Amino acid sequence: MFSFVKNFRLKLLIIEDEPSLNKAMVDYLGSRQYRCESVNTYAKALEKIECYQYDCIVLDIMLPDGNGLKLLEHIKANHKTEGIIIISARTELDDKIAGIELGADDYLTKPFHLPELNARVAAIIRRKNLHGSNMLVFEEIQLDVPGKTVTVHNKPVVLTRKEYDLLLYFIINKNRVLSKNAIAEHLWGDDMDMVDNHDFLYTHVKNLRKKLEQSGAGDYIKNIYGAGYKFSIA
Amino acid sequence: MKLFNKYNRINVVTSILIFLGGCIAFYFVLDYVLVKQLDEALETEQAEIIQFAEKHNSLPEIINTNDQQIYFSAVTAPVLHKRYISQKDWNSHEKVEEWMRKLIFGITLDGKNYQVSILKSQEQKKDFLKLLVMIAAGMIAMILLAGYIINRVVLKRLWQPFYHSIRQISAYDLQKQQLLDLPATKVDEFTLLNSNLKQMASKVEADYHTLKEFTGNAAHEMQTPLAVIAAHTESLIQDETVLKNHHAAIATIDNAAKRLSRLNQSLLLLAKIENRRFELNEKVEWKSLIAQRLQALGDLIAVQQLQVTFNAVPVTTVFHQHLADILITNLLGNAIRYNVEGGSIEIHLNDTALTIGNTSLLPALDKTKIFNRFYRHPSTKADGNGLGLSIVQQICNEAGYTLNYQYANSRHVFSILYHNKQ
Repeated sequence: MFSFVKNFRLKLLIIEDEPSLNKAMVDYLGSRQYRCESVNTYAKALEKIECYQYDCIVLDIMLPDGNGLKLLEHIKANHKTEGIIIISARTELDDKIAGIELGADDYLTKPFHLPELNARVAAIIRRKNLHGSNMLVFEEIQLDVPGKTVTVHNKPVVLTRKEYDLLLYFIINKNRVLSKNAIAEHLWGDDMDMVDNHDFLYTHVKNLRKKLEQSGAGDYIKNIYGAGYKFSIA
Repeated sequence: MKLFNKYNRINVVTSILIFLGGCIAFYFVLDYVLVKQLDEALETEQAEIIQFAEKHNSLPEIINTNDQQIYFSAVTAPVLHKRYISQKDWNSHEKVEEWMRKLIFGITLDGKNYQVSILKSQEQKKDFLKLLVMIAAGMIAMILLAGYIINRVVLKRLWQPFYHSIRQISAYDLQKQQLLDLPATKVDEFTLLNSNLKQMASKVEADYHTLKEFTGNAAHEMQTPLAVIAAHTESLIQDETVLKNHHAAIATIDNAAKRLSRLNQSLLLLAKIENRRFELNEKVEWKSLIAQRLQALGDLIAVQQLQVTFNAVPVTTVFHQHLADILITNLLGNAIRYNVEGGSIEIHLNDTALTIGNTSLLPALDKTKIFNRFYRHPSTKADGNGLGLSIVQQICNEAGYTLNYQYANSRHVFSILYHNKQ
């Protein structure tokens, strides 16, 4: 929906009281296809929500002057249609269940990788976006997100589930260096620390690259100093 | 030795000693009184004899009775002093030799000297002594018996509150957050003990909660700074010049932040389980749960070329979905993490138990330590936080399952026995 909703930047509201984290999120998401506004208090957040319409709200639960869950209740009570992702220092279950029950679309526990936040926000917006197309395009590569299928030069490419997830993650976070940790955590969650090397990630990246090349796509996956990968043209 | 026995021993010994002393003193006093009475009777007799002799100028005729005998004997020298003697003598009336009290005095009639002996039986004294010994023995027996009965019946009841308190304390488990049932009693000492115990317990509880709350809050508070670290590491790697020169350092920072965050989450989870924040009221189907987890871990199993054997029958228990998930993930995670390349994992699930065994380079682990927090085998790779098994055990405790570890045939085997299977 990035490439297909041209000349229109999606609007995000970031509500986070920790200034440096707030800035990091604004910088990262701002470098994507979003126009970000950010606030650091409950009161200011309420003001923004009352006055403007956003595509997605990134909501920290613990704010100095109020509870983010109250804000969520307020948004839902006013029939606002924003997608909402909660970010919280509390572990799952504490707020996750409460948040999801109150109508949040997703939940992310601190600390998190910014590309992961970006992927989650993109997923929420994609789900909310009932009008636009659900195709994600990067050069000759085209992803049908709901159908989870990929075509290159309009010819289908058969990918495993993990390879597909990897490609989607790459394209959503294109032109950014993604650390191996961030990618592995996206694909395998907490399980990834059960093995002490990232060989298994390397295998998946290698296979994906091979399949894309064989179907005639360019080599967009760049290995960056062994530290991570970047998906980009140049 | 029980307190009462100790007390009783002193008490009984002292009572018996005092009583014996009393008996002995009593004996002598009574003996004195009796002898004095005898002497008075003898003196009366003497006076009668002297009176008779003076009146009739002859000795009276003697009628010996059961307890009194009188003898006259002529002596050359006058008997000047009267004497009292206690001695064994022949009781001519009773025809036995027995203790007699004797009064000897002299009478002079017509220039002839006579010695008069009046004897009275002292047998009463012997009877009296017998009686006294019997009474003493009887009393001592009664003291002992009373002590025994008091111990058996009364004291048991008297100490009841004490033993109740002891039972309460030994059953007390700080983690279970139960109340100490220590009621006020009729005995001041026990009431004092109970109220102090209660105070102590509530103080300990309060401290314990404060500490746990602190752990929880500290862990929460750390998550935001960790998120800042993670986010800025992310920004840092976008600068390829920085990345080129510092990617190893950046990866180290990222990994350390991640490990700290995992540690936090584990500590929070432990605190939450301890605080009974999970209600075990969901049906958990273990076979499909394990199958799901194995599938999710497929890549990690494949990369180490592990052989997985999974034998299972469907088992359903009332548990908690999330906790069951953590339990299986931690056990399978360990089986993968500490395995060797080309090793194996065997999982068996039946109605009574789940066992997960794996090959490993690690030798047999110390059963007494493996479930301790932060315990890691010295030769292990330092990627686990040492809390995984503590969490598993805490979860098992919560559910009433038994978690066992065994090392057999070069395999580390963890088993969970479902006691409360429903």
